[in-house]
Amino acid sequence: MRIINPNKHKHKFERSSRCCAFKQLSGIAICAVSIILLGCGTQPVKTEDNVASVGMPRTSDGKPDLSGIWQTLSTADWDLEPHQARKDAPPGLGVVVGHVIPYQPWALAQKLKNFENRATLDPRRKYFMQGIPRANYTPEPFQIFQSDKQLTFIYEFGQTVRTIHANGTKHPEGHIDWWIGDSRGHWEGDTLVVDVTHFNDQTWFDRSGNFHSDALHVIERYKPIGPDHIQYEAVIEDPKVFTKPWTISLVFYRHKEKDFQLLENYGFTFDYEKFYP
Amino acid sequence: MKQDFKTFQGQGEAIVNHRFNNVRAWIPVLLACAVIAQPGFAAGQDNSAQSGAWTPNRLADGQPDVQGFWRPENQGTYSLINPRNGQDGKPDKDGKIPKRKVKPSRIIDPADGQVPYLAAARAKQQHVQANFNNPVSQDLVDPQARCFPGGVSRQQWWHNTEIRQYPNYLIIIGDADRRIIPLDGRPHIPGNIKLWMSDSRGHWEGNTLVVDVTNSNAKHRLSNEGDFSSDKVHIQERFSFIDANTYQYQATYTDPSVYTRPWTVSSKQVRANTDEPDFEAWEYACIEGEKNTDNYITEKIVSQ
Repeated sequence: MRIINPNKHKHKFERSSRCCAFKQLSGIAICAVSIILLGCGTQPVKTEDNVASVGMPRTSDGKPDLSGIWQTLSTADWDLEPHQARKDAPPGLGVVVGHVIPYQPWALAQKLKNFENRATLDPRRKYFMQGIPRANYTPEPFQIFQSDKQLTFIYEFGQTVRTIHANGTKHPEGHIDWWIGDSRGHWEGDTLVVDVTHFNDQTWFDRSGNFHSDALHVIERYKPIGPDHIQYEAVIEDPKVFTKPWTISLVFYRHKEKDFQLLENYGFTFDYEKFYP
Repeated sequence: MKQDFKTFQGQGEAIVNHRFNNVRAWIPVLLACAVIAQPGFAAGQDNSAQSGAWTPNRLADGQPDVQGFWRPENQGTYSLINPRNGQDGKPDKDGKIPKRKVKPSRIIDPADGQVPYLAAARAKQQHVQANFNNPVSQDLVDPQARCFPGGVSRQQWWHNTEIRQYPNYLIIIGDADRRIIPLDGRPHIPGNIKLWMSDSRGHWEGNTLVVDVTNSNAKHRLSNEGDFSSDKVHIQERFSFIDANTYQYQATYTDPSVYTRPWTVSSKQVRANTDEPDFEAWEYACIEGEKNTDNYITEKIVSQ
C-alpha cells in the first residue's frame, strides 16, 4: 500500500515555494496577489520540480492543474517495445525503459502466441475497457478534470470513466476483478503519483499481445514538464508474469485546437447501428 | 463503501453487472428488483420547478455546488406515460396479473401526458411497444438492453447519477454513459456528427442549469415502450435546484419530423447514498459481460 496521507506532508511550505517560482518565471500578476496572501515572498526557489513544471497552470491550492485534453503521440498502443514498421503498426522506438519487458519464460511464450493471434484476440477489438495504463496511450484523446478530492479521467475510446481518488482514502479490500482497477493518488511535489490495483486478467497492454495477470499492480507518475506536456511513467509489477518490475515512459501532449472536445467512440455499437436507423 | 452492484439494487429494470454473463440470467433479478419499494416511491411526482429561493454554496468559478449522487424519486425507464420500474407481474394462482402501481405521466406538457406523435411515428412506436417482450428481429431489441448508451434524458430516470463540477464544466456520470457539459459558451460541434449521448452546452441561470442538446444519433429509445425521436431532435434541459437535496429535471423535445408539437418530460431528483458520506461509485462493466445479445431474439433471424 503506497497511499500516503497528504496531511503528513508539509504542503504549505511546498505550495509557497512553488508559488514563488511561478511568479518569477511567468510574471503573471495574479501570483503577486497570491504571494501577499500566502506570505511566501521570502521562501527560496529551489526544487527541480519547480523549474521543470514552469508554466503549467496551478490550482488554487498550489498543485499543478492537469485539467485539459491530452493524447500520446507515441506508438505505444501498437507495441510497447521497440519495433519496425509492419503491416499493422507504424514504427516506434518503444516506451519501455530498457526496451525489453522482463517476461518469465512461460509468459514470453504466451506473449508470442498472443502476438501471432493479435488480429483476433486483442480485447481492444471489442471496445472493452482497456485497463491501466493502456487507456492512457490509446491513440485517442482523454480529458482530465481535477479537483482537490479526485481527478476524473474520461476517455474518448470506449466507455471508460476513471476516478483517481486523491482524498487520502485507501484501496478497498480485495481482491476485486476490475477492468481499470482502483486508483488512489497523492501528490509528491509537483508529481501526481497514482497507485492502481484490483485488476482482472482480461486486458492487454498493447496490440502486440503484451499481457498481465490479475496480480497486476501499477504505479503511475504524472509530472508536468511544461505548460502543455506531462511526463508519464508507469511502473508495472506482476510477479505471476514478469521476473521484475518494469517501467514505461512517455509524454502526453495537450490538445490546443480551439474548441477541441472529446467525441464518442463506443465502438461496440457499430455492428448493430444499422438496426436503429 | 459498497460494491457497485449494491448501488443499483432494486433500481430499475435493466440492472446489468459483468458477472451476469448470460443475458437471461438477470431477468429474474430484474423482476425481483421491480417489487422492491423505493424510498419516496409512493410520493406523487412534483412537477413544480421553482428554484431561486435556495442559497447554494458556490464553487470557485461561481457555479452552485450541486456535486454528488442523485437518484430519480420515481425510478424506471419502462414507460414515460405510466412510469414504473418493471412490467406488470406474472399471473397469480387465480390467473390475475398484478398491475404495477400507476404513477403520473412523466410528461408535463401537453396536459394529457402523452407524447404528441405524428401518425406515422405513433405507429412505429406502437409496433416496438407491442413486440418489446417478444422481439422477433434485431431492430426490436431495446439498444439499452445491449448495453448501449441510453441517451441524455433516459439517463435521468434509469439509475443513479453522479454530478461532478469543475471550472467551466459539469459532468454527469451514469452507469453505462457519461456526459461532459461545457459551460464556456462554445458553439455546438458540426451538425453532421451524431452521438449516442448528443452534444451538450450548458449555462447557469441562478440555481438552474440550462443545457442545449443537439447532435443526437437518436438510436436509443426513451422508454421500453418504443418512444423515440429522430436525429433532428433538439432537446432543451433544465436542472432546477430547489434545495440542497432536490432538483427538478425537465427536458423539452422539439422534432417536427416526429412530433406534432414540442413536449416536456420531467423527473424529480433527490440525493442518493445519503447514509454513506464516503460512498464511491465503483466500476460498472456492462458490454464487457455480455456474450451475445442476439440471445434476446426470440426467433432465429436468418436475414434482416
